[in-house]
Amino acid sequence: MLSVRVLNAQNLLIKNGTLLTVTMGTVIKGDILILDGVIKKIGKNIEAPEKVKVIDATGKYVMPGIIDSHTHIGLSGTNEMGATITSEVKMEDVLNAEDTSIHTAVSGGVTMVHTMHGSGNPIGGENVVLKTKWGKASEEMVVKEAYRTLKFALGENPKQANSFNPRGAPRYPQSRMGVNAIIRREFLKAKNYMAQWDRYNKANRSNKGAKNLIPPRKDLRLEPLVDMLKGKMYARCHSYRADETLEFIKLSKELGFKILCFEHAVEAYKIAKEIARENIGISVFLDNWAYKVEAAEGIAYNAGFCTKQGVLVSLNSDSPERIRRLFNDAAKSMKYGGLTEEEALKLITINPAIQLGVDKIAGSLEEGKHGDIAIFKEHPLSAYTLCEMTIIEGEIYFDRNQYLKEREEKAREKKDKEKNKEKKGETQ
Amino acid sequence: MKTSHYLITIIGIICFFAPCSTFGEDSPTYAIVGCTIVPVKGMPIEKGTIIIRNGLIEALGPEENIPIPADAEIIESNGLYAYPGLIDAQTSTMLDSPKAENQSSSRPSPASKTEKKPSWQHADFMAFDHLKLKKSIIESFRKEGITTVCIAPDKNIFAGQSVILNLSGERAKPMVIKNPFALHINFVTARGEYPSSLMGTMALLRQSFLDTEHYCLHRGKYNQAPSGLKRPVYDPFLETLSPYVSQKSPVVFNCANLEDIKRALRLKAEFKLNAYVSGASEAWRVSGSLKKAGAPLLVSLRLKPPLTSLFVNQGEDLKKKAEEEIYPANAAKLHEEGIEFALVSSGLSKPSDMMKNMQKAITAGLPRETALKSMTVNPAIALGIDAITGSLEPGKIANIVLAKGVLFEEETKIQRVFVDGISYEIKQAPKDAQPPAINIAGKWEGLVKSPMGEITVAIVFQQEGNQITGTITSEIGKWEVTGGALSGKNLSFTIAANIMGNDMEMEFYGTAEQDSIEGSISTSFGNAELQATRAPGRN
Repeated sequence: MLSVRVLNAQNLLIKNGTLLTVTMGTVIKGDILILDGVIKKIGKNIEAPEKVKVIDATGKYVMPGIIDSHTHIGLSGTNEMGATITSEVKMEDVLNAEDTSIHTAVSGGVTMVHTMHGSGNPIGGENVVLKTKWGKASEEMVVKEAYRTLKFALGENPKQANSFNPRGAPRYPQSRMGVNAIIRREFLKAKNYMAQWDRYNKANRSNKGAKNLIPPRKDLRLEPLVDMLKGKMYARCHSYRADETLEFIKLSKELGFKILCFEHAVEAYKIAKEIARENIGISVFLDNWAYKVEAAEGIAYNAGFCTKQGVLVSLNSDSPERIRRLFNDAAKSMKYGGLTEEEALKLITINPAIQLGVDKIAGSLEEGKHGDIAIFKEHPLSAYTLCEMTIIEGEIYFDRNQYLKEREEKAREKKDKEKNKEKKGETQ
Repeated sequence: MKTSHYLITIIGIICFFAPCSTFGEDSPTYAIVGCTIVPVKGMPIEKGTIIIRNGLIEALGPEENIPIPADAEIIESNGLYAYPGLIDAQTSTMLDSPKAENQSSSRPSPASKTEKKPSWQHADFMAFDHLKLKKSIIESFRKEGITTVCIAPDKNIFAGQSVILNLSGERAKPMVIKNPFALHINFVTARGEYPSSLMGTMALLRQSFLDTEHYCLHRGKYNQAPSGLKRPVYDPFLETLSPYVSQKSPVVFNCANLEDIKRALRLKAEFKLNAYVSGASEAWRVSGSLKKAGAPLLVSLRLKPPLTSLFVNQGEDLKKKAEEEIYPANAAKLHEEGIEFALVSSGLSKPSDMMKNMQKAITAGLPRETALKSMTVNPAIALGIDAITGSLEPGKIANIVLAKGVLFEEETKIQRVFVDGISYEIKQAPKDAQPPAINIAGKWEGLVKSPMGEITVAIVFQQEGNQITGTITSEIGKWEVTGGALSGKNLSFTIAANIMGNDMEMEFYGTAEQDSIEGSISTSFGNAELQATRAPGRN
């Protein structure tokens, strides 16, 4: 059984490893002391306090836990396809701590994920950031410090969704202009709604004696949009083509909300300057494109080129399979894009942390941040590497060598059992 | 006059004078003597007497203290144990399935004048209005000692409202203890329309409760002082939900897995609902949250792990262990944590399956006393009927189980059950019952010959092991075959006839061969002979 084995330590001393801090250089033969789940000290020759488990990282590479800023793991359901605008739904309502993809993620050194609504709707639901604490209860995985984000989607996915509806007319919108129009329409509704509430609140405050005041009906679909207009929640927008990306930036300014990041952004290299100027990030694949028409003009240099133009770039997996090898994808950016080692590692650590608003607690090895750490056999950007151990807040959630040992033991036990059965059969 | 018409007339005249079927009004006075009384509330009484009058427990205690009234029919119960009638606080049997509404055929256009009701808006489905009280099913509950049930609708997000029945007689209205009891909610989706995902369902539930709160607020203010207020838009759905949101009537959330339980508790906290958690096969995994929230717990004895469970998709060995050891221990583990609950049959189609699984739960560590409490006092409290049932106390309804042996021990057989003070003898399969020699399931045609004439009948049998059920149809009516047993070639069953509005039971004893059945039917007006052969064609 995929074990729910978690050492309730939260206190660890990792000794003698090559520490790739990402933001503060590399420490050779370095130690990291984690107490109560937080990195207390980074240095050399740190003495192990009493009762603290020591991990010998001699010859190993220690990096911050990888952050995947676009996944759909750990959920019971991805899209609410019953309506076109579904801002009322929340991923936090349908967490599934028993999704084995969480374990897969942890085996690839991933300690945090931004798990999202799908791209079937122009406006999807509220996403959630989780720590991949395999074995813990779902509510213990939620990262409360993260920005609140709402999923938006442009292009082929939302406009083709339900187009072959056996039950009647295909769903509006069926075009890119329709996608923009329906988003605009909903935000205008939200503005009316906000004005309604403002009027009520004003009247309520001034007219202390008014007993006849009924508040407006609370509308769960419009509330998140109001939060976006008030700057309490931000857009994470799935888009592919350069033109729809620019149009959405225009739309956000027209309506008054902030875009944090474009997802996939396959043509971002064409408009890198514009995106950088707007201070919007992108979250992309490194070498995966042309799987549909709007992805036709992707290039492997996208991530590297945009980084050099000043865009905040993160790499994501958007897949329970690719999530195991984000470090391989990061390495590719050195060949395609000419990024340095540190820039490449940033794509899967501090950059997504900044995009998610959790850079104060994760994304690099720094004193004061959470003890979220991945230990690799070789340098994480080497093609020969393997993730050997993943630690979240000082607790070990993945230990490759331990698993291998247990597998051997189980195999031996099984063999012994079968031998005994044979013996019994023989004597009878 | 045709033979059958003649027959009908004669039977009708006889029935007119035959004693009325159970109605409860003139139920006899009983004195149950010599049994061990287990009142559940209070210590057991060895050699006790229970006096039943007017459908209620008039008195109970050690036999020296309880005089036997002159008009009492004495029920000798030496060596028997008397328990309160068991309460099954959630079953979905005995319900007509809701008519599949036309949600799939046509999509309403935005301009359509008639608003189509979405399929999830099923809150006004009243279990009481859709009861299918088949005699054989009621008997199957009584056979297990269950005298009181809460029948709950179980389809759609807002499934509907349940009813609590005391299983005496055959007519629904006198059976009702409480209608409605609760609003039942499932964490499912609406196929083919919004909400088609679980997250959508959560948003829908929240919005519905918010809208109900708003509706009640508006309507309340309008009723008090309408002047200057716009009148609230009438909404039948919100009207239905109102008592459950504003007056805190019980809302039962059917929880298939541990996340469902968390979802239910979240909604309970957000809207201050009087929320119950039912099903709850994984309740032990969230015992901390359950203890904190204090929501009444109805634990299903279905004992199957949900498909979402990690235990079920990590190989056959673990799946087997989950089905045979881990999930059956749910109740035991809750008990160890000090959590009280009621045991229910929800998810099971037969009460006999519930009792089989009860044995599994007890084997897995549930103490028998806890099992008993969880089918008497605890469900009574959960259903809000503990003032009138759930224990053996003077003044309470005479729902009593007389068992030969301690209840929930495997060899224990229930001999007699009182419901509303009406006595029901439980016919068990005879000890020397042999396995059936043949399978008589299928369609049969026969002839019933009686001194008053002949009548053709069509019979359909179902057979499960020894047990025979089915229907017998004739010109006079279509009746149920109940309490049937096939031991070797010996066939016996009861025909639950209803002639001219009067219920009559007729017993058949005979033999069955592969293609023919013959025997005699005894009725209150004499014996009739039945000969039947298999109906031609596909059976």
